[in-house]
Amino acid sequence: MSEMWINMGPQHPMTHGLWNLRVKIDGEMILDVDPEMGYLHRGIEKISEDRHYNEVITLMDRCCYVAGFAWEHLYIQSAEQALGLRPPERAEYLRVLCDEFQRIASHLMWYAAFVQDIGLMSPFLYGMRDRDLVLDLFQSYTGARMTYEYMRVGGVRNDVPPGFTDQARKVLDWLSDRFVEYDQLCLGSTIFRERCDDLGTLKANDCVAHGVTGPMLRAAGLKRDLRKDRPYAAYDRLEFDVAVADSADVTARYLVRMEEMRQSVRILRQVVDWLDRHPGPVLAERLPRWLGAPYAPIGNEGYLLKRHYAKGVGFSAVEEPHGEAQAYVVNDGGEHPYRVKFRSPVFANISAARQYLVGYHVADIPPIMGSVDVCVGEVDR
Amino acid sequence: MASPITAKEKPSENPILFVARPMATAARQFAKSLIRPATIVYPYERLEDPTFRDRVAVASGRPIGVGHVWDNYRGVHALNIATCISCNLCAFSCPDLCIEMVTVPGGDPKHPKKCPEIDYGKCSYCGFCSDACPEGCLTMTTRYELSVARRAEMVYSPEKLYDVFRTKLPMNPIRVERPANEDAILLDPPLCIGCNACSRDCPTQCITMLDIPKPAAKPGEKQTKRIWKEPVINDSDCVRCGTCISVCPKECLFWGTRK
Repeated sequence: MSEMWINMGPQHPMTHGLWNLRVKIDGEMILDVDPEMGYLHRGIEKISEDRHYNEVITLMDRCCYVAGFAWEHLYIQSAEQALGLRPPERAEYLRVLCDEFQRIASHLMWYAAFVQDIGLMSPFLYGMRDRDLVLDLFQSYTGARMTYEYMRVGGVRNDVPPGFTDQARKVLDWLSDRFVEYDQLCLGSTIFRERCDDLGTLKANDCVAHGVTGPMLRAAGLKRDLRKDRPYAAYDRLEFDVAVADSADVTARYLVRMEEMRQSVRILRQVVDWLDRHPGPVLAERLPRWLGAPYAPIGNEGYLLKRHYAKGVGFSAVEEPHGEAQAYVVNDGGEHPYRVKFRSPVFANISAARQYLVGYHVADIPPIMGSVDVCVGEVDR
Repeated sequence: MASPITAKEKPSENPILFVARPMATAARQFAKSLIRPATIVYPYERLEDPTFRDRVAVASGRPIGVGHVWDNYRGVHALNIATCISCNLCAFSCPDLCIEMVTVPGGDPKHPKKCPEIDYGKCSYCGFCSDACPEGCLTMTTRYELSVARRAEMVYSPEKLYDVFRTKLPMNPIRVERPANEDAILLDPPLCIGCNACSRDCPTQCITMLDIPKPAAKPGEKQTKRIWKEPVINDSDCVRCGTCISVCPKECLFWGTRK
């Protein structure tokens, strides 16, 4: 009996959340793994069914607690499609602004957590310190640091305050310098490279077979980015490159995420310049009454709504910091969505754990799972 | 990226160098942090205080002036009881159902004045209530310290929210504009019985009951029993709270576009 199953989780420093990785080991070797999710299930899809379209946004921020904006954007897009609305152009650029800053914040959070998983403490502090600047920016126009509730069906809640774009430029300049520093700390260290090279390899065809998306897929050499392949919001009007690496290991995922942050800075510079030049409304003109800024009760005429407003379904896919998230919203003419369904990228990414963990050592689990960038909030929803 | 990025050349194999290089970067930061900390000593120094915020920014070399719009922060609510019109919109817009309208002194016995009581155990600070408030009397402030010893203390009565208002904390200045072409409340005249319920309960008194001519009774047909009055709604004063719709006994009021 030299083989045994051990539980890494649900309370384990490796898990970064509440999930359980069951590992079958023989000594130090991993023979099999079995990820168990569901500890953080809150029934967000079901709760959404009896909330107004805008009220679902409060749940989206809690879906993924490090990338709230990406999930708001995802839901908002499909809700708008289901309701047949179009946001003003400025709102689209503001959403890209939110998305890309969120991508930087999420990747910095990943960087901080990942380097701590492989035993480096100082980069953790730098990552968290720099992420705080982005959160400060978010707070200056949404009023919150993590649960923004900023986007609305048909636009966004408010415009950015005066002087915001200058602050954003300062932050972008500052962050660009920091990325160099991160590379010095990690890529410049032989310890880091010895630890991460050729670790947790997941080739492109395995990624496709298991629905693995996001930086993991691009690290395997496949150039797939929804911002390019299926442009949404204002991405078709912005210039950027898709970060691709080819070695498909932990180092490659690090490289892809670092390059993505640089590309995000590049996108943000264009967005900030655009926002300076094009003032305008941020909320669509003709919204159904219960989507307008002040809410009014439906009263006892709810039955009338189904007669008055068009039905429809909406589907959207967004390149979230972790991968491709998708949402499906069914509008049956009422004031609540009839059904909301989400596809979480991290769920697929960690479901494929058997493919990239088996054959390595137990001590390799934290760096490999760290490089996946797990956010359990969106896995379980 | 035209070609896939690959990790640059392997770092030095020299045992001194491969430790020394990353450590040099860390040491620079460490030296900086000795004279200029990137953090503040929280209970004594607070970020909402601009002096500390500036100090942190300047000292750690971070861009100055980032995130200075602290007033936008969504914290504990402030309620100005005097201007509250008891329209119920905050309670209706709350996704967490944490707002309950409770009676406060000041109204007449027939129509008690009701103001929001907020349970911060449930509140998610989304700000929908202050967006919905038509009078701007329920706003969010920058107060964020809420720890209490007992659960009952999490429930803020209107009086307690008024105390927050009186502390003159910065209020969230972002107001959401009311859409220009908003739906109005319309009347279906044949159904109306002129009962005055809508006009009586309207929080803004924007409904007036106007006399309408009593039609001449046709021979052999029973005259409809009703009060010959009809509500006329002043759209510019109306806050679209829907109270009239919910009190109407005949369901003759409805939402629609005013022609």
